[in-house]
Amino acid sequence: MKWIVNNRLNTIYMIIAVFLVILPFVYESRNMLILLTQIFVFAILAMSYDLLLGFTGIVSFGHAMFFGIGAYSIGIFMKRFEPTMLHFIYAVLATILITAIVSFIVGLLTLRLKSHFYAMLTMALAGLFLVLAEKWRTLTFGNDGFTFRVPELFIDRTNFYIICLLSMIAVFMILKRFTNSPLGRVLQAVRENEQRTESLGYQVLHYKIAASVVSGVLAGIAGIFYAMSLRYVNTSVFAMDITLDALLMTIIGGVGTLVGAIIGAGLIEFAHDGLTELAKEHWIFERWIIFFGIIYILVVIFFPLGIVGTLKKFTWKRVKHTAKKKENIAG
Amino acid sequence: MELLFNLTLNGLATGMLIFLLAAGLTLIFGLMDVLNFAHGGLFAWGAYSGTWIYTTTGSFLIGIIGAIVTGFLLGIITEKWIIKPVYGNHVQQILITLGLMLVLSEMLKVIWGPNQLTANTPEYLSGSWEIGNMIIIKYRVFIIVVGLLVFAGVQFLLKKTKIGLVVRAGVMNKEMVQALGINIKKVFMFVFMIGSGMAALGGVLFGPYSGVIHAGMGMEFAILAFIVVVIGGMGNFTGSVMAAILVGLSGSFMAYYVPELSLAVNMLLMAVVLIVKPQGLFGGKG
Repeated sequence: MKWIVNNRLNTIYMIIAVFLVILPFVYESRNMLILLTQIFVFAILAMSYDLLLGFTGIVSFGHAMFFGIGAYSIGIFMKRFEPTMLHFIYAVLATILITAIVSFIVGLLTLRLKSHFYAMLTMALAGLFLVLAEKWRTLTFGNDGFTFRVPELFIDRTNFYIICLLSMIAVFMILKRFTNSPLGRVLQAVRENEQRTESLGYQVLHYKIAASVVSGVLAGIAGIFYAMSLRYVNTSVFAMDITLDALLMTIIGGVGTLVGAIIGAGLIEFAHDGLTELAKEHWIFERWIIFFGIIYILVVIFFPLGIVGTLKKFTWKRVKHTAKKKENIAG
Repeated sequence: MELLFNLTLNGLATGMLIFLLAAGLTLIFGLMDVLNFAHGGLFAWGAYSGTWIYTTTGSFLIGIIGAIVTGFLLGIITEKWIIKPVYGNHVQQILITLGLMLVLSEMLKVIWGPNQLTANTPEYLSGSWEIGNMIIIKYRVFIIVVGLLVFAGVQFLLKKTKIGLVVRAGVMNKEMVQALGINIKKVFMFVFMIGSGMAALGGVLFGPYSGVIHAGMGMEFAILAFIVVVIGGMGNFTGSVMAAILVGLSGSFMAYYVPELSLAVNMLLMAVVLIVKPQGLFGGKG
């Protein structure tokens, strides 16, 4: 039964993916294209966040730090050197290296302690990176940020859309595989019961650090795409808002599901867009964060499973129910 | 010499403000195992409500009292409606208090507008004393005195009263206290209220100290308070005052000599504490 359900889901995913690939050639709307690109980028960020929160049970309040490292790496490489593919690859490598080192150090420092420490240290470190980006003006141009050119391949919006979409699908598949691997299973065991996993002989700290590093690197890659979609980078990539967006997307979509992160990214980005429009009508909508905050609190209290989690619960019940019925009939 | 003296005074005053924030954080953590990420929001609310009351009534004292009352009320609401429903689930607690922080700081912008407010020093506290060539700014001394009084007051409360005894026992072993027939929920509420009141007091005192207040300051101070809580030891009240003074002093000296590094030095201090002694510099218990 489980095999069929999964298979049907895979078919649905495929149909949606094909639909999204065809969409820009059929429906020509520049705004829609940009919005969808943005959704794919944030979906990568949210999935990387989900790996921490949903699969390992680690709360990070400084995910913007990795995102920002990626955004600034690409920006600085493109600005300082020629915007060629070679330098793009250098920027990606630099991002991977820096995010891996930072997430490794943060993990090593705090993951052997209570979960509060990781949240606190990442929050404080993200604050430090924000200050660094503001102060190191020769490299980052401070608060104003800077524009840069991107390699030829990424100039066309449709091309860039397809590349972001494919990257999102790739990240989704990699993470799906990763979380179902023996390593991913141990991570889920850590989330469920840390002491027990430890007493089964697993070095819990190593596994948690591995999750932290993978998540950090993927967030950095999301940052690269984000900066390239705007062709501009400033200190806002290190701001708390980015972390909060990732958090909201993951929580509302459903923690520990990966698809939930994508759906959450779509919802939040559409909501951003809609509320920005509404802000012209009434000033209260300029403070849209307040709505998100309230929704977020309500979701944490009443729907801790999120959209996908809640749906899953119901479908599983149904599947079990029908299986039982069949058993009864057969018996 | 005057420079050193002034930097020290400045550092002590900042340290006291951070202490007011960190003390509540550490007490709440010690007793309830909740790290309240919304604490910075209470600090900012204290600052805004206190400054607003002060400018409308013209009395700084009423402003301070108003801020503390606001802190108490927000503390009660937070504990009852936000923390209680997710009690015992760490991940949810961390997530939900951050959500509250968001709502609190956005509410400030809705009520008082997104621009920063100016906060004046009351006349009897402005100006300075001159001793020899040393200029002592009155308001800084005032902050230090208030901070020390609050420290002494809470210390008295913890060490000499019945409720303090329950709180200290609760920090050591919650279940045992409950087994002895004490309603620990009420104690939670009380501690949350006191902690929030202290944060709000810190906020209102901060107003005239910096001259302007803005909605983002809650977050800035919360980060410093987290650093203090880690250095002093989570749940360690006396440790928090020492660590706050340490962080305040290092901040003020670094801000003068190498301003770029002032936050980095505190972070480094925190990292070292996390590696060497994660239970905090001033605590034995983990």
